[in-house]
Amino acid sequence: MPASYEEAITLAGDLHARPAGALAVAAAQFSSAVSLTVGASSADAKSVLGVMGLGATCGQHLTVAAEGPDAHEAVAAIIAILAEATRVGA
Amino acid sequence: MSLDARVGIVLVSHSAALADGAAELAAQVSGGTVAIIPAGGTDDGRLGTSAAKVEQALKLADGGAGVVIVPDLGSAVLTVRALLGEPGDLPTPVEVADAPFVEGVVAATVAAAGGANIKAVLAAAEEARHARKL
Repeated sequence: MPASYEEAITLAGDLHARPAGALAVAAAQFSSAVSLTVGASSADAKSVLGVMGLGATCGQHLTVAAEGPDAHEAVAAIIAILAEATRVGA
Repeated sequence: MSLDARVGIVLVSHSAALADGAAELAAQVSGGTVAIIPAGGTDDGRLGTSAAKVEQALKLADGGAGVVIVPDLGSAVLTVRALLGEPGDLPTPVEVADAPFVEGVVAATVAAAGGANIKAVLAAAEEARHARKL
């Protein structure tokens, strides 16, 4: 049975190109659909251009949601990347 | 999936500096696990395209999963098509992406880094036509 799961994070830095790429590569490893939402904008986490197009910046509240058999693992992986990469400010 | 060969990417630009810079950017964004080979400029270093450079780049980019070519402007496609139409020892499969250059290269490379097959890498590049940056 497909599960859905979501978790939110407050960004510690801007979501630049390199973390967006790392996030899209990581999201592609999961079969679940994974989305990112900031305010009124959402993007497919597997689309690097979509993720960059969110224009998510430091201090914004970002929600990671996944739906599928590995939803929990996918959200955990993406949250970890966001926490690490935005802190470095890559 | 992650142990399979990655799709390679070839950038065909009229400018060597443009091809090199786009390849550098795509490598940084995608994490450096994909072969991204620039083929920019003519054989004698002027603005233009070179079938010999594209042929060499295709061979370097091929890791067994195929190669997606991203041309910068329409006339680069003529060089690519002429080369692919000749009999020769080129890697297969090869696809040519109808996509904006920078966005297409970045999207294709990230898709390849994620383990996508050649059709999915091509689709990622071509979806870049619709990506909004604002």
